[in-house]
Amino acid sequence: MSGQTQRLNVVPTVTVLGVVKARLVGATRGHALLKKKSDALTVQFRQILKKIVSTKESMGEIMKNSSFALTEAKYVAGENIKHSIRENVHSASLKVRSHTENVAGVKLPKFDYFIDGETKNDLTGLARGGQQIQACRAAYVKSIELLVELATLQTSFLTLDDAIKTTNRRVNALENVVKPRLENTISYIKGELDELEREDFFRLKKIQGYKRRELERQRLSAQAYAEEKVAEELSLKKGISLGTAHNMLSQATQKDEDIIF
Amino acid sequence: MYGFEAMTFNIHGGYLEAIVRGHRSGLLTAADYNNLCQCETLEDIKMHLSATEYGPYLQNEPSPLHTTTIVEKCTLKLVDEYKQMLCQATEPLSTFLEYITYGHMIDNVVLIVTGTLHERDVQELLEKCHPLGMFDSIATLAVAQNMKELYRLVLVDTPLAPYFSECITSEDLDDMNIEIMRNTLYKAYLEDFYRFCQKLGGATAEIMSDLLAFEADRRAVNITINSIGTELTRDDRRKLYSSFGLLYPYGHEELAVSEDIDQVRAVMEKYPPYQSIFSKLSYGESQLLDKAFYEEEVKRLCLAFEQQFHYGVFFAYMRLREQEIRNLMWISECVAQNQKSRVHDSVVFIF
Repeated sequence: MSGQTQRLNVVPTVTVLGVVKARLVGATRGHALLKKKSDALTVQFRQILKKIVSTKESMGEIMKNSSFALTEAKYVAGENIKHSIRENVHSASLKVRSHTENVAGVKLPKFDYFIDGETKNDLTGLARGGQQIQACRAAYVKSIELLVELATLQTSFLTLDDAIKTTNRRVNALENVVKPRLENTISYIKGELDELEREDFFRLKKIQGYKRRELERQRLSAQAYAEEKVAEELSLKKGISLGTAHNMLSQATQKDEDIIF
Repeated sequence: MYGFEAMTFNIHGGYLEAIVRGHRSGLLTAADYNNLCQCETLEDIKMHLSATEYGPYLQNEPSPLHTTTIVEKCTLKLVDEYKQMLCQATEPLSTFLEYITYGHMIDNVVLIVTGTLHERDVQELLEKCHPLGMFDSIATLAVAQNMKELYRLVLVDTPLAPYFSECITSEDLDDMNIEIMRNTLYKAYLEDFYRFCQKLGGATAEIMSDLLAFEADRRAVNITINSIGTELTRDDRRKLYSSFGLLYPYGHEELAVSEDIDQVRAVMEKYPPYQSIFSKLSYGESQLLDKAFYEEEVKRLCLAFEQQFHYGVFFAYMRLREQEIRNLMWISECVAQNQKSRVHDSVVFIF
């Protein structure tokens, strides 16, 4: 897995180093912020979970009560009351609206119910069972209230769950991939720069060495020439040219055309 | 002629009276209800019921059993018995038997009319009608587009025609609230039934007047209580009260101006038969009123069987059966919804 956190392929220059350092700073700050966001979301999540559990428990109770209220109504008003009520319905009078709430940066949907238009079934069961029918209606309105609340909680639960997963993914990615990569890049660039510096230094040193040797050589040749010069002047004063003497001796070994024998 | 029915009643009505008394002895007793209340599941209920007269009707039902199925099958049994009696009857008994079902017919007509107004499917509506209230041309109710046509095409041929024409002009039919229409029709039906019984005379008239008067009074009280706080005006309320019964006319006057339950109670306590009912309720509580009324009704219906040679036994039997079906529905629902502790709240024992 060490192959995972490579470094970025960049030209190892100083400006690039500056850029990458800035990115590292950004990544660190982003990491801290996302961690805080993840913690806040988790707190909300736990709260919603607790509420869901209690709401579901009370829902069981309330649904049981409303079914029983319906049974009572059916007992008093006759079994066919449910048919006549249902046939008399035009459109729903209890409707649900949704809007979004912003929680720690996550948009959670929220449902609430409202009564649209008045119920025209006020007189149902006028001759028998009217009371029970109204009681049944009240019981069911309470059930709807609870169900709407439960719907809100459950959708928030799912959305939050999703958001938490995403945020945690990002946090982990920053922590385990992006930052190491950037750090590796920085150390690589630094390494390269150091190496360049060392190369430069080495080159400088080498050139200095050459120069010194060159100087030395020149000095030596100059010295030799100077000595020759002094010797030549001495010999001339004595009437011989050492140089030419040398030449005659050296030429003796060679054939002179002027000399027949 | 009161007192001489013993001579002539059995010629035409004797066989059917015997049949009805036989059916009456098949009603579930307190012991049966106790057994049923002990049941844990609907299967147990089915098992207990198969030992009673309902056996053949419930045998072939597949499990899982549903409470509405139980009620449906029991109603089916009632309908079968009724039809058997009806085809054996002669006048005036056959008319009397038909009168008993007009109440359900009114409910069915109102159901189909509302359904058609809201554009529902006719077949579905027909399935939801009460079987006792079916008549031949009921399906054609859905064809009419508005109330005028409805009356002209369909209702005029049914036995319900006079109720429509008496109390409603054809303009009213369009706007009137469905419940008010239903209750106006029912009021006309009760008055018509009352007059018919008076015409029959003798023990029938006496017993039926008592039972119908109780029904009319009960409806008046219920209408009053249920219309407190709604937009039903006092005049409308007064129009829905029947013009006979113990409360007519002074009780109705007082009820029409009552605005809350305690006023109603004050009115009712002036009449001894109803005083006992209202004394069972504590102040401000009206939930138990319906059950108290049912109990009182059952008591009076049972008393109808004490005399012989009158038609009241048929009416009483039908009503007692309906109460039994209600009891069964209540018990099955309590068992199905796991509310066994509430079972005894509303079961009215017949014997």
